[in-house]
Amino acid sequence: MKTRILLALASTMTVALSGGAALAQGAQCPVRIGAVISLTGPQGPIGKPIADTAQLAVEHVSAAGGVKGCPVELALRDDTGQPTLGVDAARYLVDVQKVPAIVGVVGSGIATAIVSAVTTAAKVPMVSCCAVTPTLTRLSEEGKTGGYFFRTIPTSRVFGVAHAVAATDRGYKNPVVIYVNNDFGSSLLRDIEKALGTLGGKIAGAIPYNENQPSYRTEVNQALALKGDALILLAFSQDGATIAREWISLGGTQNLVLHNTLRSTDFINAVGARFLTKAVGIDNAQVAGPSVDAFNAGFKAKFNRDPVGPGLHTVYDSAVVTALAMQQAATLDGTAIRDALRQVQDPTGETVVPGVEGIKKGLDAIKAGRKVRYVGATGPFTFDKNGDVTGPALVWKVEDGKLVTDKVINLEQMTALFRRIGF
Amino acid sequence: MMGILSYLVFFATVASIFAIATLGLNLQWGFSGQFNAGVVGFMAIGAYTYAALTAPAQHEHVGGLGWPVIAALVAAMVVTALVALAIGRITIRLRTDYLALATFGIAAAINHLALNLEGITGGGRGIAGIAKPFADLPPFWFGLAFLALAAFVLALIYLMLERLVRSPWGRALRAVREDEVAAAALGKDVDRMRLTAFVLGAAPMGLAGALYAAFIGYVSPYDFLAIMTFQVWAMLIVGGSGNNAGAVLGAFVVWALWSMSGIIVVQIVPTQLQVQGGAIQAILIGVLLIAMLVFRPRGLMGERLHSSPLLRDDASVGRRQ
Repeated sequence: MKTRILLALASTMTVALSGGAALAQGAQCPVRIGAVISLTGPQGPIGKPIADTAQLAVEHVSAAGGVKGCPVELALRDDTGQPTLGVDAARYLVDVQKVPAIVGVVGSGIATAIVSAVTTAAKVPMVSCCAVTPTLTRLSEEGKTGGYFFRTIPTSRVFGVAHAVAATDRGYKNPVVIYVNNDFGSSLLRDIEKALGTLGGKIAGAIPYNENQPSYRTEVNQALALKGDALILLAFSQDGATIAREWISLGGTQNLVLHNTLRSTDFINAVGARFLTKAVGIDNAQVAGPSVDAFNAGFKAKFNRDPVGPGLHTVYDSAVVTALAMQQAATLDGTAIRDALRQVQDPTGETVVPGVEGIKKGLDAIKAGRKVRYVGATGPFTFDKNGDVTGPALVWKVEDGKLVTDKVINLEQMTALFRRIGF
Repeated sequence: MMGILSYLVFFATVASIFAIATLGLNLQWGFSGQFNAGVVGFMAIGAYTYAALTAPAQHEHVGGLGWPVIAALVAAMVVTALVALAIGRITIRLRTDYLALATFGIAAAINHLALNLEGITGGGRGIAGIAKPFADLPPFWFGLAFLALAAFVLALIYLMLERLVRSPWGRALRAVREDEVAAAALGKDVDRMRLTAFVLGAAPMGLAGALYAAFIGYVSPYDFLAIMTFQVWAMLIVGGSGNNAGAVLGAFVVWALWSMSGIIVVQIVPTQLQVQGGAIQAILIGVLLIAMLVFRPRGLMGERLHSSPLLRDDASVGRRQ
């Protein structure tokens, strides 16, 4: 029995591995792009539509003629939200299926583990759709990614700059920060500190809070003692309302700068619009334009609903920009693709937009040796030296109990601010 | 072929690391009957100790201590054992399901500490740039060298534990497992033996965590979720609780189940339907686990019923159900 089980196991492994190898040996067609996305596990509900969209992107590329004349296939693996399995899947994609690039990767912890253990050493570019962690920026700055890491989602630094702009525009020089005590909150706090320093302000102090408490009186009292001229509130919806209510009822200033998580009518109703006349907030600016419309139309045509949800636009871009780079690269080798990822964003090139039509034009232009600039589902974007992208942001305020846009920080302004701050 | 070999080397390394943790659990559960549902907590302590001692200085958390790899691996084991000693002293009176709940809670607490003790753990961002031994070798040779290291450590732990459970102390430990009152009546210090087994079992878990951190070069709290405790338990139960060779075999079989099921799904499911592949993989893992438990209820290798290699298996020797 024991031997039989072992034999069965060994033969299954052999079949699994040799099958992969046989597929890999048919090297030229179809061309494969690897993807590691959480389909099950805690991130599953977010990951599945992201995987669907990645699949859509690859279908568009294939329908547009494919890479180097070959149809493109997505070699999709589930990481189940566990970094160990994510690394294992990436290892298999790179070693056995010989994918020249990996896209997707939802969790920051998983993306960093894969970059650290697989893709950098294997010289295979990873174009993440959704990992926002600043750790990857730091690894890039230290040269530990070898330039093989890219992402199509703006890092939290965009928010940090937007907060600093919103505060200094109103002349707040010494704001107090109350922030949620997690990865997101603490890294955003550091970004705000740095951005505010450049724009002529200084944080009076920062108080962390833990989520889902019935009251935040202690934290609010600590924050009041710092005597700032405004409050920057980095909180999730319900906690944010509790904190804002307690802050105002204990006599705190109504000069509030709110995070995008509080951009909701629920928050306004919970706090009371009459206390929020001086409040402002920040958010990602939804980019508009023909490239975004082209993606939205393509998505609706396939899934019969609007592309609403995290990571859908960014994963489409990560797959398409990778496919364009593969078309651009002389050979389908990781290093050539890494370099080509920047070439397909040539500012002087022909504009390429999402959708079968748009991608076809791009693929043909590259084939003909012309320069292209991919403007994606997230609008125009350019990888900086760390493989990161920036994005536009907006400042909102509350008027008669309604959310209105106060000002937009567009991509050019954001890029200039990033340069000034030294991000 | 190189690709397959490279992947197999990778697979064997991860499985060996899991096997080390499974051996630790085997001492705690298989030989002394202590239900530790917080395996991942001890792995996390080992991993973070190793990371803190070897990662370069970073502005968010301590670092730059630059310990050599071997020293950091030993330190990870020692720290894990000390933490296990403290936890063990508190939970020594708890039995079976009560101990399981307590250790489960402790593992959750450790995960939250990892998330919040930013000065040491880097919080949710984790610790990157951890020293990897053999890092200057080319990728394939790095993998091979690391596999050799992991296999060497696994063999060492296996031999030590085998010696331990075959010693008079090991027999007394099994006596405690079967009937504490009887063992106490024979003059055995039950609490002390249980505590010793708990601490000695936790140390390999810490070592496994440290090896994992050294292998990947990055740790974050997301590496140590409750699912990993379940995986180590599955390895022990499938392999054969109470049998060290079974624990090692179980680690390889169950990890193969987890990783290869994904590969098989990729090959049998058409590309267009692969988004559903995750669910198929989860079902496959569940079905195979159940099948193994139904057909081999005592695990692939059951516990040996005799305590000396000189004796034959004897049906008259009692066995715990």
